[in-house]
Amino acid sequence: MSYRELLPEGCPPDTAEEIAASREVFRLVRGNPPTQSDFRSQRAERPGRVFLGVTECQACGLSVFAERTELEAKALKLQHLKNRLICRVELVAGAGRIQQTGQRSHHTWWPLAAFHILAHCGVETV
Amino acid sequence: MKTIRHTATLFYYDGPQVFEARDAIGGHYVAVMVEPQGEQDRYLVAGVAPERLRQFRSGTLDLRSLLVEARGQEWYLAMTADGLDQPLVLVPQQTLLMESGLLPDEGFVLHDRPAEDLALKEARERNNLVLEIAVDPPESAEEHRIRVGTLVGLLGHVQTMVKHAYGAALRDLSLDTRRAIDRSDAHLLDVVIPAASGSFRVVLEGAKSPDLLGQNELARALGRVDVLFEMASDPQQALAAVKANSGHLAGAYLRLLRFLVKHQMGLRYAWAEPSFTKPNCRAITEAEAGPLVSALSGVSNLGSESVELVGALEKADVVSGAWRIATPEGTYSGEIKPGGPSLEGLRLGSGYRFSCIEEIEEVEGTGREQRTLYLIEHRPA
Repeated sequence: MSYRELLPEGCPPDTAEEIAASREVFRLVRGNPPTQSDFRSQRAERPGRVFLGVTECQACGLSVFAERTELEAKALKLQHLKNRLICRVELVAGAGRIQQTGQRSHHTWWPLAAFHILAHCGVETV
Repeated sequence: MKTIRHTATLFYYDGPQVFEARDAIGGHYVAVMVEPQGEQDRYLVAGVAPERLRQFRSGTLDLRSLLVEARGQEWYLAMTADGLDQPLVLVPQQTLLMESGLLPDEGFVLHDRPAEDLALKEARERNNLVLEIAVDPPESAEEHRIRVGTLVGLLGHVQTMVKHAYGAALRDLSLDTRRAIDRSDAHLLDVVIPAASGSFRVVLEGAKSPDLLGQNELARALGRVDVLFEMASDPQQALAAVKANSGHLAGAYLRLLRFLVKHQMGLRYAWAEPSFTKPNCRAITEAEAGPLVSALSGVSNLGSESVELVGALEKADVVSGAWRIATPEGTYSGEIKPGGPSLEGLRLGSGYRFSCIEEIEEVEGTGREQRTLYLIEHRPA
């Protein structure tokens, strides 16, 4: 299996769940329609940065929320994120692995290279 | 030049968006990410009163209100290019914060419902994992009282069980994940409320701060402990669950149960992380603990673990069966159980692979553990 981004050894962790059944998650995107750049990890955005306090593996994953309200009630209240749009992503078998990390609804998602993200996402109307 | 250090992340989305920090003299600050400048993350920072910060953590105060109440109306910008492990230099701002255009909108609260349970309330307010344990020893029947020895023993047994649960949980992780976990401090839990009201209750908090995502590594351990207590009312099912976790964790669990039986009490506990909506609760009554102790006591080697040692033999006493071997991880000593392999013919200084069983026994009355390695097989390395 090859992942969308280069991951460190042992990443995703054993405890991450392989996505086998369809589920929906939510992520912020910059425009409609979303682009590939909306699904770049922190590591891809900043190759030289040290991310202390989170593992390198997590820095190579994408933040997604299981509940849309978490983005509405928190992320979209912040000035630098408030102009973003909520994108619903349908994860199906072959989408990669996912793990709940941090806040209750927050998950880290490691997409597989073969998973066509843009074909599985749509911007939500607020 | 004032600087602050990140202490805990309060909201994470592709990096810490809202976090709390301390300055050199212990002052409390809240930082909120604003539009980055070039490669550098930029944060709006304001000093906040500890009580108001506690209210924000518990979900009863919104972020904007917390920030606009900033001490002396002072606010700062801080930039970081190298991550949050470095001190952040605060640059004082002259404009009014209300007019900065950087304040979050109203309504950003950390939790959408209040915590009704003590463990969850404390977890939110402390922004860390919290474990609450409650017991009803006979002396607490008429007043809020517990014998010193009972309390000390209880805390020792709980801490030991959590320690072994943590060790077991770590062994299941990949080597890389294990390496990424900071285990420089052996303390796992601190008592933060020694005697909460109600039944005799003690509240403990994870000794380490959570990671940038707000998670404490101890959650792995307490998840393991939950499995052991899950079926406490059914000795046969409980037996299966404990056997599946055989090793030092199972041994520590059995010693805790014996302790409960000896002191005629059951145990209830609840634990939570700040992001939980309800705590994880488990309990075992005194009546349930007795049969379980009987069932578990009949299982051989329940609390022992296999250990492989490869190194140079330093000592081999054929008569007493005592041995010592130096491995790259350290020097280990042990003995041979009756009927075990002989040390005869082994050459000091030569390399051997020792297959051992490690058993732990409680030093009576102290709660301390004594580990013994028993050699069961040896061969040249």
